[in-house]
Amino acid sequence: MKTESKRQLVVEDLHLSYGTNPILKGVSMTLHPGEVVALLGASGSGKTTLLRSVAGLEQPYQGKISIGDTVLYDSAAGVDLPVEKRSLGLVFQSYALWPHKTVFENVAYGLRLRGTSASEIETRVNEALRNLGLGALAARLPHQLSGGQQQRVAIARALVYNPPVVLMDEPLSNLDAKLREEARAWLRELIVRLHLSALVVTHDQTEAMAMADKILLLNAGRIEQQGTPEELYSRPQTQFTAEFMGSNNHLPGKVAQLVDGRAMLEGEGWRLWGMARGDLKQGDAATGIIRLERTQIANGASENRVRTELVTGMFLGDRRENLFKLGGLRLRCYGTTPASGECWLELPRDALWVFPAAA
Amino acid sequence: MASARAFSVPRTTVVAITVLVIFMPIGLIFWQSLLNAPFFNPHHYGIDAYEFIFEDPDFWSSFGNSLVISAGMVLIALPLGAALAFLLTRTDLPAQRWIEVLVLIPVFVSPMVLAFGYVVAMGPVGFYSLWAKSLFGDVPWNIYSLASIAIIAGLTHVPHVYLYSSAALKSLGSDVEEAARVAGANPLQVALNVSLPMTMPALFYAAVLVFFLGFELFGLPLVLGDPEGHLVLSTYLFKLTNKLGTPSYHLMAAVAVCIVAVTFPLVLLQRWLLKTAGKYVSVKGKATRQKLLPLGGWKWVALGLVTLWLFFTIVVPLSGIALRAFVEQWGEGINLSEVLTLDNFRGVFDQPEQVRAIINTLVIGVIGGALAVACYTAIGLAGHRQRGGVARILDYIVLIPRAIPGLLAGLAFLWIFLFVPGLKELRNSIFSVWLAYTVVWLAYGMRLISSSLLQIGPELEESARTVGASGRRVLTDVTIPLIRFGLLASWLLVFMIFEREYSTGVYLLTQGTEVIGSMLVSLWGAGAIDQVAALSLINIALVAVGLAVALRFGVRLHED
Repeated sequence: MKTESKRQLVVEDLHLSYGTNPILKGVSMTLHPGEVVALLGASGSGKTTLLRSVAGLEQPYQGKISIGDTVLYDSAAGVDLPVEKRSLGLVFQSYALWPHKTVFENVAYGLRLRGTSASEIETRVNEALRNLGLGALAARLPHQLSGGQQQRVAIARALVYNPPVVLMDEPLSNLDAKLREEARAWLRELIVRLHLSALVVTHDQTEAMAMADKILLLNAGRIEQQGTPEELYSRPQTQFTAEFMGSNNHLPGKVAQLVDGRAMLEGEGWRLWGMARGDLKQGDAATGIIRLERTQIANGASENRVRTELVTGMFLGDRRENLFKLGGLRLRCYGTTPASGECWLELPRDALWVFPAAA
Repeated sequence: MASARAFSVPRTTVVAITVLVIFMPIGLIFWQSLLNAPFFNPHHYGIDAYEFIFEDPDFWSSFGNSLVISAGMVLIALPLGAALAFLLTRTDLPAQRWIEVLVLIPVFVSPMVLAFGYVVAMGPVGFYSLWAKSLFGDVPWNIYSLASIAIIAGLTHVPHVYLYSSAALKSLGSDVEEAARVAGANPLQVALNVSLPMTMPALFYAAVLVFFLGFELFGLPLVLGDPEGHLVLSTYLFKLTNKLGTPSYHLMAAVAVCIVAVTFPLVLLQRWLLKTAGKYVSVKGKATRQKLLPLGGWKWVALGLVTLWLFFTIVVPLSGIALRAFVEQWGEGINLSEVLTLDNFRGVFDQPEQVRAIINTLVIGVIGGALAVACYTAIGLAGHRQRGGVARILDYIVLIPRAIPGLLAGLAFLWIFLFVPGLKELRNSIFSVWLAYTVVWLAYGMRLISSSLLQIGPELEESARTVGASGRRVLTDVTIPLIRFGLLASWLLVFMIFEREYSTGVYLLTQGTEVIGSMLVSLWGAGAIDQVAALSLINIALVAVGLAVALRFGVRLHED
């Protein structure tokens, strides 16, 4: 346990602003060794700023950042370790390879600065390049590499001096959509294989869920919710989290009844039971949210079912997506066979979340 | 290509005229250099002219002086310009906004004016020299030595290096520097291992540019080199006439070819460097807010050095001229308050040719500048979005005039106007000077225009084509409206360049074609110091108006 906490990254109540514009409004988080934490959020949520603050590239004005016993930043104690003394690995979104250095020299630079002997540099750089499948490219210049290769050089460069934590700023965003899914699996495998502790910034919830052990969802400089990917996806505490993590149907209505944590949502010509979230009172306006994949076509009237009319169907390859009409509402659901005419849709009550309508 | 066909006739005309105005003068110079006498006299072909100048020790000493001065300029301007760029883009140096503006002044003030300013300020009986003498009992410098010429030329070319290196430093994505910091490099190591190597192509380009400008130098060595007889290639060429007493055009042409033989490869080298420098840009990062390097107490030292440089390159020559323009005479033992006068300006306005020079300078700057921009735009549009050979040829031939110093271009145009039938009438009009100016500054103007054109996304024009506009309509409805602010800015810059130009008009100077620049050269030769001072001050005022307008409207004063 002692060695574990030695390399644990802890951020406590971090505040940062650009001029009068607050970017981080008190963020706290912990990254345990061997864990991958994803910082997820829309642009402007502060996720990249948080990552860059850990690296020392941004200047917070309050809070504390430490790795094990080493304090990187502490506003109260007046500690602010310069970037180069923090010994972290950072993979830039743009990769930021030095165009005038070869692949080998890009990776070796961190070791050279640490006064490593030439023979050891040779061994370690080649090992890092081999680990990333770049063995044959050592003598190339960055502009002679493909985007995927550049990304791997950037990762090798950040790993070669064994930093306690690797920071990655949107590591996959510069790759093509197709390549991205492969790279995601490859990166996850690499992190697990090398037992890395990684803090990864991303704006893509699928990427975050696929790569991370824990997700921090940021919203306007605050943590909206944190937890395992399953928790965020299946048990969102706020409407923001529910919306951000998946594709949903929205049912605006009114709370008709409240019984032990369940709420009955009422709209024009329909009534549905769902899980009450947040502060709800009878008669309040509320929004029902349900994941698309939990909405199902049913074979007849029953509890928590609504009668709808098919508008159109779309073939997506592995499944179909159907669009239904319920009065003025549109509901989508997946199916495997073409639907037609009038359909009953089931919205299971433990999958339907009822959130208070935004003020 | 359909658009090519739609434009065929106007495009061909533009290209043909461009080729003609570029190749006529340069061809004439080459041809003349291979004759044994001026081409309008009886002559035969031969290399007599080259033999003559190669046997003349003065030619070799001026060639050597040109080399020494150019090399000295690079040695002085490169480190200072790079350091200045670093201070202004990467550190918290105070008063940056002011310095950025002041730095550009030497670029826009005529070298002839600057040189004259140094003579009246720091010459043997200059204002500053006499003040120094009263302090130290002796004048501790001699501005007429070869070393002084190199130092003054070097210091006044610092802005050229500054412009290119600061552009390179600004376009350098901060992420590559941050990556080095994260890898464990301290700020000094980042500067040495990342920033400097990555700006190397720009620095090398600037070095070649300054060396090239050193070879073209005319005003400074003409004024400062005269008293001690230091000649450089351009002044050697200028003095050839006096040397022999007869029009020795074949000798001048041979010297001209020798100069072009040095400058043209330099121009090609610059172009090649510019292209290879682009390679580094392909791996460009996201521009994030740059953290400025805190200089601490050193910032006052740095500010002091920058101020000292500004004082020497701007305050000294300009204050010298300003003072000299308002005194009757100046020398040892003269009390400033007793000799103050406005007579110098009365003298200028009493002379019809000097009044004409002022009017002509204004006309050539304002109207001629607009016409020149129109011509450059026509050439730019002729090559716009064309992939064929014509565009590539245009791309290269517009560089040729860059290699021909203005003095030579003026000479070549003089010959054309004298001996091409039908042009003689235009020789005595300001048109001849305008044409020479426009051709001499073609490469500069084309870069202004093409940087505007490059900012238009091709899809804006393509969408106009798809909704049904012809190639011509796309130009008038989309392309030209989109670059109109760029064109206005170019007009302003060309105005300032034309106000400042002096060497191109020297050989074209006659009744009717006077401009301030060439008048200054002529009056300086005649020793009319009072009028040189007054005209110089008027010239500075004209450039200052252009500069003020440019700053007021936020025009970028550099084409990169």
